[in-house]
Amino acid sequence: MRKTYGRLLPGMKLADLHGKLIVVEGTDGAGRTTQINLLKPWLEELGHAVLDTGISRSTLAGEGIRRAKEGNNLGRVTQTLFYATDFVDRLENEIVPALRAGFVVLTDRYVYSLMARAMMRGMDGAWIRSIFSVALVPDAVFYLRVGIDDLIPRVIFSRGFDYWESGMDVFPGYDMYDSFRSYQTALLCEFDRLSVEYKFDTVDASMDPTAVFTELKAKILNVLEGDSRKEYFSKLYSRPVAAAPRVDPALVAAAHDGTIAHHFPLPPVLGRYLGQPNGHSLGHSNGNGNGNGALHGK
Amino acid sequence: MNIGESSGLERLGPFEIFLPTQPVAPALRKEGSDEIPGRLFVVEGIDGSGKSTQLSLLHKWLESRGYGVVFSQWNSSPLVKDTTKLGKKKKMLTPATFSLIHATDFAARTEQNILPLLKAGAVVLCDRYVYTAFARDVARGMDRAWVRDLYGFAAKPTVAFYFRVPLETAIERLVGARDGFKFYEAGLDLGLSEDPTESFRLFQGRIIDEYEQMIPEFGLTVVDATLPVEVQQAQVRQIARTHLERAKNLRVRP
Repeated sequence: MRKTYGRLLPGMKLADLHGKLIVVEGTDGAGRTTQINLLKPWLEELGHAVLDTGISRSTLAGEGIRRAKEGNNLGRVTQTLFYATDFVDRLENEIVPALRAGFVVLTDRYVYSLMARAMMRGMDGAWIRSIFSVALVPDAVFYLRVGIDDLIPRVIFSRGFDYWESGMDVFPGYDMYDSFRSYQTALLCEFDRLSVEYKFDTVDASMDPTAVFTELKAKILNVLEGDSRKEYFSKLYSRPVAAAPRVDPALVAAAHDGTIAHHFPLPPVLGRYLGQPNGHSLGHSNGNGNGNGALHGK
Repeated sequence: MNIGESSGLERLGPFEIFLPTQPVAPALRKEGSDEIPGRLFVVEGIDGSGKSTQLSLLHKWLESRGYGVVFSQWNSSPLVKDTTKLGKKKKMLTPATFSLIHATDFAARTEQNILPLLKAGAVVLCDRYVYTAFARDVARGMDRAWVRDLYGFAAKPTVAFYFRVPLETAIERLVGARDGFKFYEAGLDLGLSEDPTESFRLFQGRIIDEYEQMIPEFGLTVVDATLPVEVQQAQVRQIARTHLERAKNLRVRP
């Protein structure tokens, strides 16, 4: 059964939210959008219906937030609550219906970014946690972590400094660079704290995007493998389907080295997901003969 | 992989730690301290209780006595009100987003107007305050404690007047005065009744129950709103006067 962080919104039923809620978090420029753009088609290829959503994309408040950010009078409490409105609108109208329909929901940022931003602007931690206690607990939070020194060149050479990403409202530094550095460092600090509290799965996003993608794919397969609809799936497939094995740390290490998937002896099923040609041989990982037990395995 | 495991993150080096400046207090702040010399008078009550009439009379009186008075209306922040309007027009607000967008509007007014003005020593008048949100949002099914937490950044009023009126009296006043009830005002989003007047009656009844609970909880000052306008205003002015006695310096004109 799915859970919230403590409080339930009126009318929200937690039963039957069978889909998977996968969060990609990280500071500005960590490559979240790049990864989601890779993950979505990959998941769809595997046959999953995918909803991708993200901060300030709600029908209700998205436009209002954009307009408010153009001015110079958006205060920190107002900012936090405007984003909370946007979040709850998407939670009720997009995320929950999609989970009920069995979608994989990929969300670019979640409440944690909003909490980090609010807390580093000096807001009370108990206050912000109470507001977001209505959020659903995700199935996984992947925290794409990039150190400040790796982050700065990425931002400069892609889109340049932005007023809000540089935290000019809280660090009116000598220039955008100073502000950006102080602000993003403070944000990283908040994220690191949250990553312990909310048990984020931290991914070193200073790696090449392909390596990050490989690591994320392997981790997401583990999340999908723990699907509550296992029995349903086992009936759905005409031939026995083996579970993806737990990710071998050596595989992740190989991805870090840049010697990605292809040169590494992958278990057959994982190999199929990661693009190796011989992925169709089944029943390898549990060896119980009928191969069907794999989905119920462990 | 978790923090601390080898992943090249140690390259980060020491952080420049940012210490938060002034935390937003989780409880309603006390006014009238050295920090906040202004006075905050708010009026509460259901639609048709006559609270706006009373506030505008208080406003005139305060101005005539030379105070620097500023009036702030519910749901009026230029930053947020278009979003609220959109949500209401398209009927896309749920109890949760209805609550949050009104809190956002209130936050904008608090940050831009109410708090800075109170710090500057103004007399601030609010037509509806956090108690309106507490009553309406809980009547819509929101968690009582959650809504109270949500408004934790609000300044505590000097006096919160609650204009108590029987439901039927309020309905009589409203039916004569306007074409019909609006969708959210009548609580039609809750599906209590298809008839707007009946829905209004049921919804406002719940709101009255919430207000009654808040009288002891927040020390609301009750005014009998069935009395003649002049009598109510005399009571309001008398109470306001006691809170302005030691605030002669708030006068901007002799």
